[in-house]
Amino acid sequence: MTMAATSQDRPAEAAASQDGKRSDRTFWLLAPGVIWMLLFLVLPIAMMVYVSFWTQTTFKIEPTLTLKSWITFFSSDTYIGALWTTVRIWLIVLVATLVVGYPAALFVGLFVRNKTLSTALLVLCVIPFWTSFLIRVLAWRPMLGKEGAINMILMNLGIVDQPIEVLLFSELSVIIGMTQIYCVFMVGPIAFMLGRIDPSVLEAAQDLGAGFWRIFRTIILPLSMPGVVVGAIFVSVMVLGEFATAAALSGRKVNLLGNIIVTQVGSLKWAFAAVAGVVLTVLMGIVVAALLRVVDLRKEL
Amino acid sequence: MNATGIKFGLGLYTALFIVFLYGPLVVLGILSFQTGPEGGPQFPIIEWSTYWYRHLFGLTPPSRIAPLPIEQALVRSLTLAVMTMVVSTVLGVTAAQAFRRKFRGSGVVFYLIVLGMMVPGVLVGLGMALVANAFGIDRHWWGTAFVLHVVYTFPFAFLVMLAIFNRFDPSVEEASWSLGVSPARTFRKITFPLIFPGVLSAMLFAFTLSYDEFSRTLFASGRDLTLPLAIYGTFSVEVHPNVFAFGVLTTLFSFALLGTYAILMAMSVRRARRVAIQEEA
Repeated sequence: MTMAATSQDRPAEAAASQDGKRSDRTFWLLAPGVIWMLLFLVLPIAMMVYVSFWTQTTFKIEPTLTLKSWITFFSSDTYIGALWTTVRIWLIVLVATLVVGYPAALFVGLFVRNKTLSTALLVLCVIPFWTSFLIRVLAWRPMLGKEGAINMILMNLGIVDQPIEVLLFSELSVIIGMTQIYCVFMVGPIAFMLGRIDPSVLEAAQDLGAGFWRIFRTIILPLSMPGVVVGAIFVSVMVLGEFATAAALSGRKVNLLGNIIVTQVGSLKWAFAAVAGVVLTVLMGIVVAALLRVVDLRKEL
Repeated sequence: MNATGIKFGLGLYTALFIVFLYGPLVVLGILSFQTGPEGGPQFPIIEWSTYWYRHLFGLTPPSRIAPLPIEQALVRSLTLAVMTMVVSTVLGVTAAQAFRRKFRGSGVVFYLIVLGMMVPGVLVGLGMALVANAFGIDRHWWGTAFVLHVVYTFPFAFLVMLAIFNRFDPSVEEASWSLGVSPARTFRKITFPLIFPGVLSAMLFAFTLSYDEFSRTLFASGRDLTLPLAIYGTFSVEVHPNVFAFGVLTTLFSFALLGTYAILMAMSVRRARRVAIQEEA
């Protein structure tokens, strides 16, 4: 208060204190959120990295630094296997969501020119998200099971004589489940980018005699790439951190890094869990950085 | 585009795509009306009944199938979601308010906040459990799990509010200040009503994300189960149609929530219009 009173005499000082007050205000507005994130996001991740170098005894961990957990992780077939399974499932699901989602996005974003209809279609895609994630995962069990809906339909149509057993509790069921759950995150950004294409560009190409495939390859696909990359980042981050779908649909046959973390924590092997966590973090960082390399998002959006 | 054949083909594909999205949920809904307790979670429907819905509320005679432990879990989940909603909306509004002015280090702060929604729940959950162990803090759903929920939902609230403030005309606030109205009163009377639709959306995001969140809760919540953890518990055992019935009910609950949001939104739009008409008169 005294500051404000004295500064009225000197205009220059008044401006300076006004400026100071402003940055003060910004500071106090930001402080709670930033402190929250530092304490409850950055500190836990840092702790995870730190604990991965702790000594693991049977039931507890001690803060004596060692590389033992890391050596165990990289010399064990189970853990390395989980790493490769994670990478494989991630790649397959990423491609599957793109292949399954792109045509739908093409229709919604480019071919439906009626704004209400395209919004309605997008809303229709989002509604399933209002069901609990775990329930959506679980819903695939009665679909894919030996006596499930798909096998029943196929047998009634006479396409197969015996139920296909590989549908449930296999890698395939995990991939089908994840594709359905995550492909909307691919459709949304792509449809958004496609919706921004100027129709007159496409008409011009058509008038000049280009066929659909040529237009698709030279105009539509390049212009939709930022959407593809954003979608791919969404899907990648979510699939890499997954463990529930594998737990529900694979019958313990598919072990992702996430599942390794869950089981290790379950048996109080905190240091191993931390190692798996750090490996997962690094993997995710590489994937996101690589995807951002493909398209310069800041320039395109 | 005039490629009629391609348009037709893509339209058909999109219809199939929507069937793919909804198929499992429809099957789940149908099977929730399976007869009980002997009917299993598969076709054919032996007899249509509401047995499993009654089973959820403990209205059926005891059988070998244990009821889902949802009663207390529901209370916990709702409390947690409301707590998360309030805190993350407040944090989101204040942080976005700060971002209305350019300041040094805004890029770093922006990424720090957005990181909260990018980092997978398993990792923060694990990290939080480790921090709690190291500092001797007990893990509870209202403590360690709650702060992680806010870490997850605060970025959503922040981004929604950022988008709202981007389209916000600061001159109305300036007019209020120059008329001698105090900043607090200006915020209450001018700013807040204008950003209210955004606040409502941020609240909706925060509530539903927290209500459905489980990978963060899994390691950080200690012994007491929240609703998603109760469902997760059924994964490892045999599934009965009571879980399906429960899925149908949670979906209906979500729609009720969405309906409330739509009504509140419509009311705020109507009020804004009425004020505009009054001003014209």
